[in-house]
Amino acid sequence: MIKVDNLSKYFGDVKAVDGVSFTAEDGKITGLLGPNGAGKSTTLRMLYTVFKPDSGTASIDGHDIQKNALQVKSNIGVLTHGAGIYERLSARENVRYYGQLHGLGGKALDTRVDELAELLDMQDFLNRRAKGFSQGQKTKVALARALIHSPKNVLLDEPTNGLDIIATRGLRTVISRLKDAGHCVLFSSHIMQEVAALCDEIVIIAGGTVAACGSPARLLSDTGEHSLEDAFVKAIGSEEGLI
Amino acid sequence: MTTAQQKSAHKFNGLWTVFKKEVIDNLRDKRTLTTIAASVVITPIIMIAFIWFAEKTVKEETDPVTATAFELPVIGAEHAPNLMDWLRNNNVSILPAPENAEEVIKSGERRVVMVIKENFPEAFEKAKTAPVLLIHDSSISGLEQLGFVTVKNALRTYSGRIGQLRLEARGINPEITRAIQVNVSDVATPESRNAKIIGMMPYMIIMFIMAGGMYLAIDSTAGEREKGSLESLLTLPITRNHLLIAKLLATAFFSALTLMFMLISLSLSMQYAPVDAFTINLSTPKLLHIFVTCLPFVFVASSMLILLASFTKSYKEAQSYLSFVMLIPSMPLMLLMFLSPEASMANMWVPSLSQALIIVETLKGETIPVHLTALSMAVSLAVSVILASIAIKLYQRERILG
Repeated sequence: MIKVDNLSKYFGDVKAVDGVSFTAEDGKITGLLGPNGAGKSTTLRMLYTVFKPDSGTASIDGHDIQKNALQVKSNIGVLTHGAGIYERLSARENVRYYGQLHGLGGKALDTRVDELAELLDMQDFLNRRAKGFSQGQKTKVALARALIHSPKNVLLDEPTNGLDIIATRGLRTVISRLKDAGHCVLFSSHIMQEVAALCDEIVIIAGGTVAACGSPARLLSDTGEHSLEDAFVKAIGSEEGLI
Repeated sequence: MTTAQQKSAHKFNGLWTVFKKEVIDNLRDKRTLTTIAASVVITPIIMIAFIWFAEKTVKEETDPVTATAFELPVIGAEHAPNLMDWLRNNNVSILPAPENAEEVIKSGERRVVMVIKENFPEAFEKAKTAPVLLIHDSSISGLEQLGFVTVKNALRTYSGRIGQLRLEARGINPEITRAIQVNVSDVATPESRNAKIIGMMPYMIIMFIMAGGMYLAIDSTAGEREKGSLESLLTLPITRNHLLIAKLLATAFFSALTLMFMLISLSLSMQYAPVDAFTINLSTPKLLHIFVTCLPFVFVASSMLILLASFTKSYKEAQSYLSFVMLIPSMPLMLLMFLSPEASMANMWVPSLSQALIIVETLKGETIPVHLTALSMAVSLAVSVILASIAIKLYQRERILG
């Protein structure tokens, strides 16, 4: 479970994130929806501890993101924006590397890699060196390594970027399964349909603040609109960045 | 095991995991293997080529037994037949007079032409100073001058002998003309005579130590950031300190590997090199001594490279700074080449210079006092710790993600 309380991050005069609060619960998929530059990635970066917030707090499974960064890191699986993988390592080695850094090893690690390879349909290229992989293949490897330690909380930054339709459907299946297994999934996207199709909770972010949040049904009733798209436009006050 | 112990063991595992991954990753990088191979092949080739060339020239030009005769065109040889015989006995072959003496010198066809005027026999017989003219080009340098020196020495000796005979004929002890007798005793060991050639070795060794870890250092920090794998790596339960230390150790590992292979190849090639006048005996203890005393510099080089890679944003940017960074350790070496200082408290604290002095002295077969060696190692290690901690500080910044 991820609890975000009044989190802010400034870059000079720019208020990238300005007092964001929301909760992402276990067994649910929470979507951070917003136009480009709204502060989604910065919020996620603070949650996965590579940025330090200027004010506010957040905790993941009760661990404060600043005070207990290492515990937080052990309890999350992260797919960063435009994640790169190591070209001279095979897909399997890439995933194993992350597993080892999470303290896994031996047969258990290999079994887990095979499990993820099947889940993400990676068997064809699992033992090939990553040089020359397609964007979809790279994203699958990056996703597999994020999930290698079966993290309770999964943070995905624009996970469908660069994926084709088949790969996107595969990713949706993976996200749904994580939810069914009781994981807390938080992902960011600027694609309305994607969020609408998957999320139990939607947090609409614009200009570094939370413009609206709640279940799709609640967003509709709160805004008095009939489609999510209209609700979204109404919430952020413009059609900017909408796809 | 207590929880605390488990935690520290786990932390150490992380460091080890990153180290292993970087080593495997880098072993698959052709550029690194090319660098190591180049160091193994190029260093002994250059060394042996220099030695072989120096030996060959010196032998040919100065050894009267094996040397080919120096060819000397003489104008007016008929005026001094005795002198001609003397020169022939001193390994100079007399050639007939050229048409234009100055021209053959200027064109470089001949190095020296001797001119004997017709007044030579008369002056010689009357025991006056008989003139001999040597035409040569003083602007040519180095070993090319040897022919001129050979002829001049032969003439001087001849002149001395004749003078001696004349004094004895007049009943005077020839020693009266020699106020001082200079005796020279050379204490140089056979190895130390090769100092010129040995002098360039530290430069190559230190450059290859830098080159050995270069690709890994840049690839594993600036390169990792550029490819977008760094951010993801920073979300894992390993501290940035450990991450950077692991990368530093992996860099040092490859630098040390390059150093080791280079020394072994140098030692082997010296044993089978087709030279005998110059000997550099690189025995196993000497090899180990150089390796161990250079290890602190391996860490200086690695932390310098890691530091460079931790503030540059991309591979290209890092490479553009690289030529400058490579220059820093080579500057003290210039000093070594020009001044050839003795190892002392004043210079043995300078990283790269102190290692260079150790390499030179060890190759020469001499030893540097233990306290100076210890000073070199201690200061170099301290410098690398300082550089590494700056890199760690830089790594803590959020801007590391670009």
